[in-house]
Amino acid sequence: MSTTQIRELKRSARLQISRGMKTVLAGTIILYVASAVLAPTSVSKIAQMGMLPFAACLAIIGLGQTLVVQQGGIDLSVAGAVSLTVVIVTWGPDRHDDRLIPAVGAAFGAAIITGLINGFLVTKTKLNSIVATLGVNALLYGVMMALSGGSPRRTTDRLSHFTNNKILGLPHSLYFGIIFAVVVTILLKRTVIGRRFEAVGANPRAAHATGLKIVRYQIGAYVAAQILYCSAGVILGGVISQPTAYQGDDYVLPSVAIVVLGGTSLLGGRGFPAASALAALFLKQLDMFVLSLGVPYGVRTIVISISLMLGIALYAVNWKSTNFSFKKSDRKLQPV
Amino acid sequence: MAALQDVSLEVRAGEIHALLGENGAGKSTLMNIASGTLQRDSGSIEICGEEINSLTPHQATELGLAIVHQHPAVLPDLSIEENIRISVPDKFLQSEGSIDATMRKILDDFGFTVSIKDRVENLTIAQQHLLDLAKAFAVNPKVLILDEPTAPLGQESVEILFDRIKKIAASGTSVVYITHRLAEVRELANRVTVLRDGKWRGVKEIADISDDEIMTMIVGRELESTFPPKHGGHLSDKEFFKVHNISGGEFQNISLTANKGEIVGISGVVGNGQSQLLRAIAGLDRFSGSIEINGEPTTGKQLLNKAAYMPSDRHGEGLMMSLSVRENAAVNALNKLTSGIFVSRKKEINLVLASLQSIDVKAPSMDADVSALSGGNQQKIVMSRSLLSDPILIIADEPTQGVDVGARAEIYKILREVAESGIPVIVNSSDTKELEGLCDRVYVMSRGHIVSTLEGDEITETKMVAAAVSSTKLKTTEESQLTEKTRRRLQILRSDFLPPVVLTAMIVLLGLFIFSKNNMYFGSYNINAVLGLGTGLGFIALGQTIVLMTGGIDLSVGPASGVLLVVGSFFINDGKSLPIMIAGFILIFILAILIGVINGSLIRFANFTPVAGTLTVYIALIGIGFLLRPSPGGYFNATFTDLLLTKIGPVPNTFIILVAAAIVFEVLIRRTNWGVRLRAAGSDEESARRLGVNINRTIIGAYVASALFAAIGAIIIMGLIGLGDPAQGSSYTLQSITAVVLGGTSLLGGRGSFLGSLLGSVLMVQVLNACVFLDLSQSWQYLFQGLLIVFAAISYSLTRSGGKK
Repeated sequence: MSTTQIRELKRSARLQISRGMKTVLAGTIILYVASAVLAPTSVSKIAQMGMLPFAACLAIIGLGQTLVVQQGGIDLSVAGAVSLTVVIVTWGPDRHDDRLIPAVGAAFGAAIITGLINGFLVTKTKLNSIVATLGVNALLYGVMMALSGGSPRRTTDRLSHFTNNKILGLPHSLYFGIIFAVVVTILLKRTVIGRRFEAVGANPRAAHATGLKIVRYQIGAYVAAQILYCSAGVILGGVISQPTAYQGDDYVLPSVAIVVLGGTSLLGGRGFPAASALAALFLKQLDMFVLSLGVPYGVRTIVISISLMLGIALYAVNWKSTNFSFKKSDRKLQPV
Repeated sequence: MAALQDVSLEVRAGEIHALLGENGAGKSTLMNIASGTLQRDSGSIEICGEEINSLTPHQATELGLAIVHQHPAVLPDLSIEENIRISVPDKFLQSEGSIDATMRKILDDFGFTVSIKDRVENLTIAQQHLLDLAKAFAVNPKVLILDEPTAPLGQESVEILFDRIKKIAASGTSVVYITHRLAEVRELANRVTVLRDGKWRGVKEIADISDDEIMTMIVGRELESTFPPKHGGHLSDKEFFKVHNISGGEFQNISLTANKGEIVGISGVVGNGQSQLLRAIAGLDRFSGSIEINGEPTTGKQLLNKAAYMPSDRHGEGLMMSLSVRENAAVNALNKLTSGIFVSRKKEINLVLASLQSIDVKAPSMDADVSALSGGNQQKIVMSRSLLSDPILIIADEPTQGVDVGARAEIYKILREVAESGIPVIVNSSDTKELEGLCDRVYVMSRGHIVSTLEGDEITETKMVAAAVSSTKLKTTEESQLTEKTRRRLQILRSDFLPPVVLTAMIVLLGLFIFSKNNMYFGSYNINAVLGLGTGLGFIALGQTIVLMTGGIDLSVGPASGVLLVVGSFFINDGKSLPIMIAGFILIFILAILIGVINGSLIRFANFTPVAGTLTVYIALIGIGFLLRPSPGGYFNATFTDLLLTKIGPVPNTFIILVAAAIVFEVLIRRTNWGVRLRAAGSDEESARRLGVNINRTIIGAYVASALFAAIGAIIIMGLIGLGDPAQGSSYTLQSITAVVLGGTSLLGGRGSFLGSLLGSVLMVQVLNACVFLDLSQSWQYLFQGLLIVFAAISYSLTRSGGKK
């Protein structure tokens, strides 16, 4: 008895694949198969090369949103943060390559300050994260407009090369997306800070009771998220040759959608950054697929909404326990 | 195991019947069955000789049964008046002529001096209990059940309560009085029924039974577990851990010591300050007084790191339920497990495995979620984590609660081994038998004081129970009453009407300031433009206010108004007949109801969070809008849009309707049952449910109301833009939330102000408009908006808390 028990206890898989990851992975594979069969143009090289850099940017933004959602918050300042970064790295250098590095540095400086403000408002003044980040978003837009006046400027060649040059036929931006997803996952799952960060998100009260300084981790989530948005903004500034001043607007709700699709609960808890990142690819390819089918924008949007609803429903209902347990308490739904 | 077996309780009319028994004897279970909260497996319930087949809480109330629980069922965001109205039917509020006078009388009878308009959150805990008691007495029940009513009360209130109990019994009401205190039984009761281990022990006339006889009936639980032998008594490290005269919220002047090798027990009736004392010792709550470890004075912060705390609320505070066994066990030991910057898998698995094996945890694997384990194994994971953090003291609150018998014995063994290894263990338990078997010294607490210290052979169930039940100590202070001045200040700061007043002042000042720079500002054209824009937003914001009051949020309002605008653009055009146009309006409102029902159902039945649910609907509605009309088109009927743009002086008629609607809803939310139910659901869902509010219907109704307001907003927008444009709606979502937050409605639910939302909408539009008149760039529009939101939200959140933490 005790030997089998020890053997069983020992079982700890080296690589664990979350339910969110399985779902998104299966969804993405099915989607690509369907795309290849029903709308071959959507998997053509041109279509994919056009789509992948944006998927990578959305993925990096989604990683940041995952961190905030994992701590039970939500970050609506994505739009302002990305827009401001794009403005700083393109309007700032004004096509002068030598001014690019200071501009990128300034963008990251602004990101850290923004993250601290968000974190302070949510943890110290106890504002609801929706209200706090909504307010900060407006401030970011204010700063962005003050800098740029809202008129577009072309990106610098250096930044453009930095993001668009190709290795093995694939643009740098795609590699950045993958690298960020891997790095965030490893930091979260394999370092002391990351592990404690997850514990705080999973149950702040319990984390506090064990002596963890939970406010630091919660503020850290907002700062790290801003750094990720800023990174995505820099890449976006290179990918788009002539960006607008409102480049971030398209990323707020999708970033929340991919976090939810990836299986991270909006009530906080365990975070699944890799699944969020893959969900970004899923969402962008879904967009591409429906576009190639030639259906109008409206239908595309409805399809995305339905897939989101199914995705959430999948996690909201505890299917496993409906199969294995007839105890009523186990069947209680978990809100997502 | 059954919580109750073959228990009978018979209470005569006009009798005060005491129900006695130890913690967990089944008293509360019995009363929950009697009041319909729990259903019985067998047996019968009769009231006045009439057999009742199935009993729900609502039926119980109808039959004249009132129960006051240990935790008061009051709604903090509502006023005293509203709290009374939601649970006391109007027919009981007529005795003094008017409802107000009757309520005043009800409160006066319990020694309340506060105004009935005051919010319950401004009351002390004791006053909230008194309010709950007052409500129960007010319905003139046939049967009144009181569960430990004196626990939070001070001397004066206890006297008033006893007086009232005697009076109501004299008028023919049967009173069931659950207590642990013999003194109270002697003073009040005619007869007493005693329960033990869920079984009936007997019923006696008070006059015929001595205290000792009652004691014998209460104690004598069967021993279920085996205990490890106690500490031999090599007390070399005397006074290793010393608590000297500490006081906190729920306990006063506590001194105790724990030596190396010892297990120290804290005993007493549940809720007499034991848990709070443990939290303070663990460094989680504040305390005054001194704590020394090995002669060194130690602060709360240091204690938090040095002591390992095992909370009684395992799910809420003990474990990260969504994380695995391994992650939970290792969380405090991670620093020891690194190689380089990473946590070493090998070290972690080895350490955790060794720890889990040493305390014999049964789990399918280390990667299993802790939520999948049994209570006993979960508690062992907490122990494993505590031990891996290398503590110098272990503090365990109810370590065997919800743990089966076999695992209990193992937990006792582990605690004893830990103590033997030189880490003192402090255990709070409601199970006196457990403390008897486990502890080397026991402190008995009552109402926040230590009333007895037992050592060696004195540690018996009988002595512990005797110390607790014979205590007559009351709480030293009934929380310091707020002074009249601070109360009035709080009342003003927390009032729903403060934000509208402040907003009006801001709107006027901003207006005057702009006027001083640009005298075109008060031109009728501009006033008309500002109010016109504010009207569409205003209606949508009123709907958002309703949802926020329930503690939810409706992100779909913007696209909803966009879609309804587009739908209207197919019907309400020039050249369409009147019936078709009317059909168009009807369709708009039917679709709005449908949108609201979908939002509400996703949240209440499919368990989506409000953000997730309304976000999916948001995206779907945008899609539907663009599907119906991919590009702007469908000019609205000119006669109709002209009608929308009519005005009196510079003020649009629609704005006047908006103001009227805001006032009407402001009244409805305060004066009607619908309004009270809505705020009750947002204030405290659990209490509201207990008070009989249908939560699902109330909340789905709120989302429907929100969508209907979005429909009215869409109609107003028809006049502003003149054609169906699917892109028009979306921006209203965040704007409406901003306006409502400016208006002082809390995202936590339970309270809010429609006038505030209206004024918030106007201020929003005014700020945008101001930048044009002041010749400021667009960036100022954003900056002003952002600053307004942040400062409004911070100042509301600060004034609500009233400066206290």
